[in-house]
Amino acid sequence: MSDLPEAAERRLVGGTFSSGLSVSDFAACLEMGLEPVGLVQGYCVMHEGAYAMGGVLSRNISPFGASGSLSPSGSGYVQNYQCPHGMISTEHRAWGQNYEQTWVQDVWNQGFTSAFQRMLEEATTLGADGVVGVIDSQLPLGDVGAIEFHVWGTAVKVLDTPAPTSAPWTTYLAGQRLAKVFEAGYVPVSVIAAVSSVRVWAYCVTEYLMEGFAGSMWTNSSNSSNAIEIDQIVTAQSWSRQKVRSLARAQLRGDALHGADLRLAEREFQKGDLQIEAILRGNRIRRFKDFDPLPIPQPTVRLS
Amino acid sequence: MTNDLKAEVRRAVASLEGKPPKADSTTSDLSIDEELNLHAIGWEPVELVSGVSLFSTPVGLWNWGEGEISSASQAHALAFRYAIERIHKDAADAGGHGVVGVHIERRVYSTHIEVSLLGTAVRPVGAGRVEASNVFVSDLSARDFTMLMVAGWAPLGLATGASFVYAPRRSMSTALQQQSQNVELRNYTDALYSSRESAMERMQRVALDLRGTGVVGVKVVEGPMGFAPHAVGFAAWGTVVRLVKETHQFVRPSMVVSLNDLSVAFNAQTLH
Repeated sequence: MSDLPEAAERRLVGGTFSSGLSVSDFAACLEMGLEPVGLVQGYCVMHEGAYAMGGVLSRNISPFGASGSLSPSGSGYVQNYQCPHGMISTEHRAWGQNYEQTWVQDVWNQGFTSAFQRMLEEATTLGADGVVGVIDSQLPLGDVGAIEFHVWGTAVKVLDTPAPTSAPWTTYLAGQRLAKVFEAGYVPVSVIAAVSSVRVWAYCVTEYLMEGFAGSMWTNSSNSSNAIEIDQIVTAQSWSRQKVRSLARAQLRGDALHGADLRLAEREFQKGDLQIEAILRGNRIRRFKDFDPLPIPQPTVRLS
Repeated sequence: MTNDLKAEVRRAVASLEGKPPKADSTTSDLSIDEELNLHAIGWEPVELVSGVSLFSTPVGLWNWGEGEISSASQAHALAFRYAIERIHKDAADAGGHGVVGVHIERRVYSTHIEVSLLGTAVRPVGAGRVEASNVFVSDLSARDFTMLMVAGWAPLGLATGASFVYAPRRSMSTALQQQSQNVELRNYTDALYSSRESAMERMQRVALDLRGTGVVGVKVVEGPMGFAPHAVGFAAWGTVVRLVKETHQFVRPSMVVSLNDLSVAFNAQTLH
């Protein structure tokens, strides 16, 4: 059943086309035999329940506890860190944890996928073969713990071909760069977006190192130079990169991810409580013919 | 390149009706231009790879002392070394022979130094695996890598060097005396020269250890540390290269006169 509002369905079959393409990208699309048929969009607003009262993070500390024994089954990566000092004090962080925030990833995946599917529905309604120049955004909405997922692009028909029988292909590219992808022997399959999220609940050694107490008795340094690697943070950062890459890879199914854009965002909720999020976007492309033999590139000097 | 782009697009889109390929997936942050450049010299992208490291530095060390702030210099060197080792391993595990277009993010805080590397592992088309120690890491773009190889040179790795130095405080009487004068602050000038010499010497030492002839594309970050007004820092990094053909291959550029500015006519606005 269609997810589209009735007004949108009426507008989309209206007669004129709309497009998010610049004039030069529009011209390049026509050169490729791609006819813009409509600016298609999908929205999804998601509420993050983890931080609300009763949510998994409402206690403002790791939901898994010191032993990790509360970890729900199949919840993903959890790594514990134990205090080496043997101190018991309310202010001393006797344990620490890196844990995968599966609920953050779930919110992101559900929000992005729903918005993306709604955009595809609009494109299908228009009889489009593909959507080019896709742009996506994720923005906080108000102060109610909600995120607005927005995916939009320009639906196109391939001229002189029968009506499509499968879901439209999508790509972040448009214009001349998309033309080069086709000429290089690739066809766009889909945009790919993935997110990994890890929360770092620092234990005492990490806390002291981050505060610059390297070389003190608290950091157990055997290194006379006082330069000590902060293992818990490095592990979390490395994990977030590896995880988001594996999540994107899982969507490729033998195809290639091209023009990838990996961005990391760190957010400190309070002292010693850090969130590291990695978002990876790119174009899933498939080879449909071998590369034409290419000459060695020749440098040129432009006279103007 | 094809003459009939529209027919090529129709053929490409029709191929989507078939089954997905039974090939190994690859990931890369290269543009299509960069990939074509690589392909022209027989290389291909394999995997998006990364390496990170974070080293702690004692918070009090930036404000009082004499000479080099050796703990900070060493933390910087170790953070780069560990991040490079990790991206080497990530690339070797993926079957890469080198990493090109490495984005280097480096942050120096009063309490720690962070280095993050991200790039695309590449290899000669279809080549087998190599040891992590034989993988090169370069911050040259795929285009620059291509031109370097065409000219008969090869990248060997990243060389970095950094030094943080105290700029000694002037005595109270000197400071008062100089208050209304136009005068060189030799303490800062000398500290900058000192940190530069140490950092450049360290970077060139790494290049020699890699048996390189030189370092290209050197980037320099220098100046006072924002969080410690009496500390100055100098850091440099670049790609170590060596001539691998018998002689340098002179790449003579052709001169072109553009009659129609295509780069403006096809400016892809939707890309970043």
